[in-house]
Formats: sequence, C-alpha cells, structure tokens
Amino acid sequence: MGAFRLTLVRHLAGAAAGLVALYVLTTSVGPYRDLQIAQAAYLTCAVAGLTVLTGLGGQISLGHGAFMAVGAYTAALVSAHWGWPLAAMLAAAAVVTALAGVLVGAVAARLEGPYLAGATLAFAVGLPGLANYSHLTGLLGGQNGLTVTPPVPPAALGETFPLERWQAWIACAGAVITLFLLANLTGGRFGRTLRAGRDDEIAAALCGLRVARLRIAATVVSAACAGLAGGLLAVVASLAAPGAFPLTLSLQLIAAVIIGGLGTLPGAVWGALILVFVPSWASDAASSSGLSHDVASNLPLAIYGLVLIAVTLAFPRGLQGGLRDIGGAARRRLPPSLRRFAPGGGAPGVPATHRGGADEPTTDQASAPDPDPEGAGGRDDDGGGAGGRGERLRR
Amino acid sequence: MLEVAGLTAGYGAVRALDGVDLTVEEGSLTAVLGANGAGKTTLLRTVSGLLRPRAGRIALDGRDLARLPVEEIVRLGVAHVPQSGGVITELTVEENLRLGGLYRRDRGALARRVAQMYELFPPLAPRRSRAAATLSGGERQMLALARALTGAPRLLLVDEPSLGLAPRVVARLMAVLRRLCDEDGRTVLLVEQNARSALSVADRALVLDLGTVVADEPAAVLAADSRLRHAYLGF
Amino acid sequence: MVRFVNLTLAGITQGAVFAAVALALVLIWRATRVVNFAQGGMLMFTTFLAWTVVHDGGSYWLALGVALASGLVIGAVAERVLVRPVEGGPPLNAVIVTLGLYVLLQAAAGMIWGDTPHSYPPAFTIKGLTAGGTRLLLSPFDLFVIGAVALVMAALTVLFVRTGLGLKLRAAAFAPEIARLQGVRVGRMLTLGWALAALVGSLAGVLIAPSVFVGPSQFDAMLVFGFTAAVIGGLDSPAGAVVGGLLLGCALSYVSGYISSDLVTFGALAALIAVLMVRPNGLFAARTGRRV
Repeated sequence: MGAFRLTLVRHLAGAAAGLVALYVLTTSVGPYRDLQIAQAAYLTCAVAGLTVLTGLGGQISLGHGAFMAVGAYTAALVSAHWGWPLAAMLAAAAVVTALAGVLVGAVAARLEGPYLAGATLAFAVGLPGLANYSHLTGLLGGQNGLTVTPPVPPAALGETFPLERWQAWIACAGAVITLFLLANLTGGRFGRTLRAGRDDEIAAALCGLRVARLRIAATVVSAACAGLAGGLLAVVASLAAPGAFPLTLSLQLIAAVIIGGLGTLPGAVWGALILVFVPSWASDAASSSGLSHDVASNLPLAIYGLVLIAVTLAFPRGLQGGLRDIGGAARRRLPPSLRRFAPGGGAPGVPATHRGGADEPTTDQASAPDPDPEGAGGRDDDGGGAGGRGERLRR
Repeated sequence: MLEVAGLTAGYGAVRALDGVDLTVEEGSLTAVLGANGAGKTTLLRTVSGLLRPRAGRIALDGRDLARLPVEEIVRLGVAHVPQSGGVITELTVEENLRLGGLYRRDRGALARRVAQMYELFPPLAPRRSRAAATLSGGERQMLALARALTGAPRLLLVDEPSLGLAPRVVARLMAVLRRLCDEDGRTVLLVEQNARSALSVADRALVLDLGTVVADEPAAVLAADSRLRHAYLGF
Repeated sequence: MVRFVNLTLAGITQGAVFAAVALALVLIWRATRVVNFAQGGMLMFTTFLAWTVVHDGGSYWLALGVALASGLVIGAVAERVLVRPVEGGPPLNAVIVTLGLYVLLQAAAGMIWGDTPHSYPPAFTIKGLTAGGTRLLLSPFDLFVIGAVALVMAALTVLFVRTGLGLKLRAAAFAPEIARLQGVRVGRMLTLGWALAALVGSLAGVLIAPSVFVGPSQFDAMLVFGFTAAVIGGLDSPAGAVVGGLLLGCALSYVSGYISSDLVTFGALAALIAVLMVRPNGLFAARTGRRV
C-alpha cells in the first residue's frame, strides 16, 4: 500500500471535485463571466508553473510572459498550417515551450539573483519583438499577430451551447490537469530535491544532486506550464499577437505568485483569480464613481504595485503564508472536533485542489497518527502541504 | 573617563556579556584579556555602539552612551579599531586615512594629521596611493590604527591587534599604543588574547570569562598571579 | 564606409544614454546591493514631469531642471521608504519591491497623463551635420546628448574621487559598518546615492525622449539596455558602465543598420546572454569577492 497511491488518489479526488465545481460554476453564469473564468484558468497554469520555479526552485523569472508568447504562437501556427486538433495544438504549445525552456534553463542555471532577474526581464522585452522582424512577419503576422479559429463546441452539447463556456471548459480542464500534475510532481522526489537545491546549493550538491540539471528541469516544467497557458490564451482570445505579451504580463504573473504566496499551488489559483477579477472590479468601480478611462484602466496596475510593495514589506512569505499563520493561530484555539471546519483547511469557493488540509485526514490518521494537530495547514513553505503530508507518510 | 556598570549584552539567545563592570582612567592603557568567546569583542562593540546593550550603563565622562548611534559616539572622541583592522580594501591607503578624520570637518587639521600618521607609521608613506588590498596584515593593522588616530580620538578601542601578526610586529604595535598614552595623553582600551604582550604595556588588566569579570587588577599584579594566569590566560 | 561611420556615430549617441542608465543602476547596486528595476519607471515619470513643463510652455532647460530635481527627490524617497526595509534581506524581496514601484509608477503615469505616447522636443535641431558634402548621422542635438552625459560623468567622477563626500559615499557602499565606525552617517549616504543615481537616470530619460516618445511603457526597453550595459561592464564598475553603454550602443546601431531595427531589443538580449555566459560578473570585473 504505497503512500504514493494514497496521495495520487487524493489528488485525483481533488481534481474531480474541482472539475465538478467548475462545471456547476460555468453553467450558472453568463458568457462574460465564462470568459473571465477561462482567463483565470489559463493564467492559473502560468502562475502555477512560475510558483514552482520561484517558490520551490528559488529561481526568479520575469520572463514567463515570453514563454506564454511561445506557446500561443506555436498553437496558432500548428492550427493554421496543419490544422491540428485542439488537444494536439495545446500539447504542441506545451512541448515547444518546454524545449525553449531547455535553452533558457541552461542559461538561467548559471545565473543568480539580480543577474537572473535582469536576464529574464530582457527575455520578456526582447522576444515578443521578434514578431515584428520583417523576415518573420510572413510567418508570425507582425504587429497584428495570427488569428486562431475558435474551437467548435461538440454537437452533443446542443446548438445553443455558448462558445465562451466551451472555451472556459477547455481552459479549466487545462488548469486542473496542470495543477494535478504539478501537485504530484512537487509532492514527490522532484519537489524535495528542488527545495534542497534552493535552500542550500552546496549541501545539495554534496548529497549527489545535480543542482544545475535540477534547475533546468524546473525551468522546463515551468515553461511547459506557461506554454500551455499561452496555447489556451490563443484558443480563448482567438489570437496570438505581440501586444498580448507586454512586459507587464510577466510582471503580473510574478505579482500573482507573490500575492498568492510563493511556492503554493492554491496560492497560484488565488493569484490568477486576482489578476482577472481586480481589473474587472476596478473598471466597475471606476464607471460607477465616474472615474476617467485613464484612471480606470491603470487602477489594477496601481493596485498590483501597491500590493507587491505592501506584501513584501508586511508579509515576507507572501499573503497565503500570512493567511495561513492567521488561520493556524485561530484553529489552535478551537477544540479538535471543530478544527476540520475552521478556515484555512481548505479554500472555499476555489477549486479544491490538493491542500492536505484538515478536511481530509481520516485515512492519513488511520495509517499514521499525526503528532502535529496543525496538519499541513500550519506548515510553512512547502508547496501547499500535500507534499509534506506525503513525505511524512512515507517514513 | 569610561565607566561601564552592570553591562549585559548578547546576540539572539546568547548572552555574551553578563553584568560587566569596568572603569578606564584617563590617559591609561587598560587591557581586557580572556579566551575565545569570553565576550571581549562584544564588550568593545557595545561600547562603540555597534551593539545595543540589554542592560547596564556605559558612560563617557558621565555622559550615557548606551542609546547613541555609532556615528555620534565617534563624534564624542571614541575610535574603534575592529578585529583584523577593518581596512576598506577598495580604497587607497590615503583615502582610508582621510576617512578616519573626515567627520571633524577641519580640512587643514586633517591634512596635518594624515601627514603625522605617515611619520608615525613610516611603512605606510610609500604606499599612500595604493589600494589597501595590497597591504600585508601588519601594514593593514597599522593603517587601521593610523586611521583611528586621524580622528584624534580621546578614547581608543583596539580589538586584537596581534591577530595573525609576527611577534616583532606585535611588539612594535604594543609600543605604539603605550606611547599614545604616555606622549599624547590618549586613553586606550585594548582587547587581547595574547595576554603576555598586552600585560607588558598595560596599566591595568581585566580578565573576562564567559561574559563575566573574573579579575580586575593592576597589570603587574595580574602578571604575577600564576594561578590566574594558568586558569585563564594560558601562560 | 560612410554607413559604418554613421552607424558608429549614432551608436555613440544612444550608447551615451545607455551609459547613463547603466551608471544609475551601478551606483545603486554598489551602494545597496539592489538592482533598481524601478529605474525605467523612475526616469519615465521624471520625463513626464519635464514633458508637462514643456507642454505648458516652459523652456527646454526649465523642463530639464524639473526632471533632474524630481529625479533626486524620487530616488531619495524610494530609498528611504521602500528600499531601506529590504536592504540586507533576501535578494528576491528587493527585486519584488523595486518591481512593485515600477508597476506603481507606470500606473500612476497612465492615470495622470494617459497611455498614448507624446512627442518630446529636442534641445537643438536633429538635422544631421555635413562633413565633406556627406550628411552625417550626427546632429547638434546628438552632440548635446553626448556632451551632457559626459559632463555628468565628469561631475560624478570629481564628486566621488576628489571630495570628502564622495569618499564617504564610497566607504558607505563598500563597508557600511566600518564606515559608521569612522563617523560616516551611512543611512544618509545610501539615500544620497539613490538620489544621485535617479538624477543620472532622469537625465537619460529627457535625452532619449525625442526618439522614443513619452509614454508609460515607452521606456521599458531602456531598462533592458541599461541593465545589459551595466552587466557588460560589471555591475560594480562605474567606468565599466560607461564603456558597456557605448559598446552596446554601437552594437545595437550596427544590428539596426545592417539587419533590421526590429531586432534591436532582441540583439540586446543576445548580447546580455553572451556576456553572462562568458563573464558572468561582467567584462571588467576584477574581483569575485572582497576581503576585509
């Protein structure tokens, strides 16, 4: 009876629950909200990949917007030239971006701190500009980019099935699969060695870990997620154009990672939701209070900037970590029988991914009595707790 | 001149000083001796303001130093020569020297004192425009001492000047410290692990052990106390 | 041949501006071990302030003065309020805070002045000079750009090398604790260092504004160019920043002239990667660590 299988079952259950929740959600809202859900879903892929790289691997990337561009253009090209079906198109986006990740990772593995940040920043600014290069405009469509034929909902869903809902389903499926794979990957050996390489490179190397190879692997995984996100973006927006991948996109992704809490997958979901819903809330607020267009369109950016500064100064471990501290402190005061219902164990309103929180401990506790009543909720810094729980069971 | 009473200080959970009392007379050379980890360096860092005391009193001519920042304590005439000198290797010898007296804002006096230092420490003179990184250990120690003196301090705190130096160089440095007291009327608080050479020049000596004072005697008395020497000073 | 000379001249002009941005980054890196990713945003904001002066009928020189003065203030305030708390902390925190400031400045500029870029007048004509009947890619304004950057560099060199204040600034940057023991008020020096750096950056913004226009994201590439130039020279070396800026300016000018102007930012990326792979600490880096 492997702990691995237990974890896998739990992650599968989480993924299934997430899909059901998303089904209910998408079918109960209008096309506009469906589109927003789709955006949040593809951003979740990119943010989740980035949070693994930065939070667990300790490598910052300000260039994930460029990876998304690679994915989007790949999807657009294979769809336009070879008419590949949707799934193959998205797989191609992830694979080609992963290959780009090998190159970037090989460079990035040798860089540290501000050098790495600067190089990835240059990547974010430099790469999308290639689309305008005159010899490539025939292929990449220049400033206008490439249009992507929108996917057609299956006939079985009925003729009136809205396109936006179908796009939301595609993007959500991509997000759930990404989160499921990342949860399993980071909960296992890969996640542990990644953290070891982040915390003490020399010690990890002395233990026989190939730190450079590990970093490249992390970049590749992360790039594949961003590539899938880009492919999904192309499908949802029906377009791949350089204007969709400005420097601010990359900075927003890193903002989402920081706001959600470095290295936590549920935090990635939060971060992506914030990226989509803060702008829409800001434009609503602006129109109701009569603010000008300039103010309204820049309000989200201003908020991200302020939040980035405030979070770094106030919660050095990120908002998710801060919330978890508060949640942990609250639960400690509750009697044990109530703890499983206390906030912090699961994230209500968000697809229940894999938090290893207080709402699912029955099997765990049967096989291995847990001396730590906090469970994964009280642990800091370890990829959402699922991995931590899995490791403890294996011992 | 300097009075320390009930001084307690430390880092995190470690208590490096525990109720230290110490009086330094004007114009005297006081040595603080003890093994590694006895709290000697912590004592100097606390007096010069690099470390905040947890309890106790540090007074210079009756003025409380415990709440003042380093920069202000320096302006009261306290110069601290940290362990292994703390020479800024990216700057030239001359720049290091000038830095020590810049806060006095008197350009003419600064130039004069820098010139004096080259007389007091002749090996520094031909190296004045070289980067301090090119100096040997002994030269660096000289430069650090000279830099402290360009500020014309009244109280000089010197941390382990003998560290890693040849015995002859150590003897020269000790002689210079003695002369600073006798000829210039400066006050010196010297921290040393090399008890023998410190006692050879000191007026008074303290022995620290695990953050507390275990002996406070005239240097000659302490040097004659073989029991204490064996127990704490290793000779 | 004329083309090569012309491209080189154009490269030197824009290289001077890159050098100024690189110098701003190097000054801050040396003083506080922080790469100021907000530099692009700061110079964008000060250039917008200058644009406002010009737009309201003020003279070019008044606008330049406003930009430089506001640069000083923004730099000082940024260090005091935002950077001071993260100095000495994990490097990621400093990166995030400066990025946050960058995003905030960009949003503020968008709110105040709108997202559409505005044109900015040059101080002198941009019509090329002629030599021996050939029109050169070097205008009186280009000469002004080169001269202004050179003047600022010279002034900074005098300040840092010849004055007591400069000595204190350097000491505070190299060894803060030792500097404090010599009576240097290190906090003030770091604030002043940021202010000076931001001043140099704001000069670069005004000088490049006529060719890139003034808009909230018009100066994004300037940060990349400046960072690349600084890395070429080694983040610790002000002289290296100047050489790096000129080298990068010429290299990108050749890329633009011989291949395509659309490849300029990509060329900067390629140059950056090449330098980082060969000499990760910059071409002019002599030391890898410091001994005290």
